[in-house]
Amino acid sequence: MPKFLLLFLYLIISLSAISGGNDMVIAVNNSITETRMSRNFARQLFGMKARQWPDGSAIKVFVLPDKAPQHDSFVKEILEIFPYSLRAAWDRQVYSGTGQAPSEASSIEDMKAKLASTSGAIGYLPKEKIDGAKIHMVEVY
Amino acid sequence: MMRLLIAYLGLLFSTICSAPAWALDFNDGAIQIHGFMSQGMVNTSGNNFLGKTNDSISYDFREIAVNASYRALPQLLFAGQVISHTAGESDNGDPNIDYAFMDWTALSGEWGRAGVRLGRLKNAYGLYNSTRDVTFTRPSILLPQSIYFERTRKLSVSSDGINLYADYINDWGTLSAEVALGYPLNDKASDVALLGNNIRGSFEPAFTQLYQVKYESPTGRYVFATTVVNLKEDYKPAADRDLNAGSFYFAPVILSAQYNAENWTLTGEYAFRPSSLKGFGPFLPDTSKDGESYYLQGTYRVLPKLEMLVRYDAEFNDRNDRNGNAYAAAKKGNLNFTQYTKDWTLGLRYDVTPAVMLRAEYHNIEGTAILPTLDNPLGISSYDKNWDMWLLLASYRF
Repeated sequence: MPKFLLLFLYLIISLSAISGGNDMVIAVNNSITETRMSRNFARQLFGMKARQWPDGSAIKVFVLPDKAPQHDSFVKEILEIFPYSLRAAWDRQVYSGTGQAPSEASSIEDMKAKLASTSGAIGYLPKEKIDGAKIHMVEVY
Repeated sequence: MMRLLIAYLGLLFSTICSAPAWALDFNDGAIQIHGFMSQGMVNTSGNNFLGKTNDSISYDFREIAVNASYRALPQLLFAGQVISHTAGESDNGDPNIDYAFMDWTALSGEWGRAGVRLGRLKNAYGLYNSTRDVTFTRPSILLPQSIYFERTRKLSVSSDGINLYADYINDWGTLSAEVALGYPLNDKASDVALLGNNIRGSFEPAFTQLYQVKYESPTGRYVFATTVVNLKEDYKPAADRDLNAGSFYFAPVILSAQYNAENWTLTGEYAFRPSSLKGFGPFLPDTSKDGESYYLQGTYRVLPKLEMLVRYDAEFNDRNDRNGNAYAAAKKGNLNFTQYTKDWTLGLRYDVTPAVMLRAEYHNIEGTAILPTLDNPLGISSYDKNWDMWLLLASYRF
């Protein structure tokens, strides 16, 4: 019985470790001072509608490709919208001229490099990839 | 020769499919270039729609466009698109400027934004019109014809003028308002839709206003919109013995609603369309009627790449004479079924890659009110009351 219990505990811990590894959070370049932001403002930012940070500087949005599982979980869990709705909003703006598309990062590592090197940049990363040196996390409320 | 062509097309298609969805970004994404192209095939069991389709296949349904945008400042955007739209006899595909404007977001913040656009602008009526030519943003190969007419497409696409817009964002959602003032574009196909194939002069669009108010719930589940348009066109008679210089008035009100779930979307739109022709002289007495349109549409995403559509779409030229019987009784030769269209549509969308899409669609149609006049030069004596339409379409974007 204790053996089963141990196995069960081990499974739970390893499973939560896996899901913990996929927990995406909003990450910004350190040129931005914000550490908290409303979910509504985050939706505006990633929907490419908000174009300026409160200090007036330009917002640069980075996303992973639509098919990346991390993109899917970020959009559903942090923005709490459907990925297809976000894509539709970008397309409507790009093809009617009323807005632009976000820049695409090819991988998590690429995203990290771009967020670190671009002033005003916002994107998302697994929590443990954020070291605070050039990028910090923004909490959504 | 045929086999070579097929092999070539197959190779081209597989190359496009394997290519990543690329877009051109310069200057850190401040300059972006995007575009799309699509090729359709249309076949009908009666009447012609987008080319010679009656018992034959028309390939004259093509859309090619390239756009560029430049964000000069966070609050200043320049954007333009050139489009070639081929649609049967109505549009020969000559490239033209679809939109070209500057967009100045005068105010912005966490509360939303407000600004002004100046130049040639897309007419944002209903849920789909601002990107009606982009197959990726449409629910189906053909938009519901009761509201997004092909037969008067040019008149509804874009206008030269000014657009004031504001978005207000709150915990309960986003409220957007837009006022567009300007002069719509026009072409022969829209002219003959108003006065028939024997038209001698031409119409010139006058000052037109468009107002839209839109609500979107915070997660985008619910979308509601109301659009009001006030359009006028002035007739320029041909010099010799033509109609008088009358005007065409069109003032539709469009109500739109959409519900978005994870795997399905339900959309409905209703339009009340009063229109009148006035001042054309004794050969064309003043007339006015209230048209009515609506559709209900469901899309279901069976798989992330595969979407099904079912829609019922109805259009009545005169809401007080829905079956057209009074019209038919008024004059010998008038046919009642030319005064309405009822269209059941089934569609399938397959996204091969994010950049490549294939579509198939079937329409079962009663009535001919949506027919493009130029595609059917023999006139109403040649019209079929009941007809089917099959469409296939391949589309690529970047």
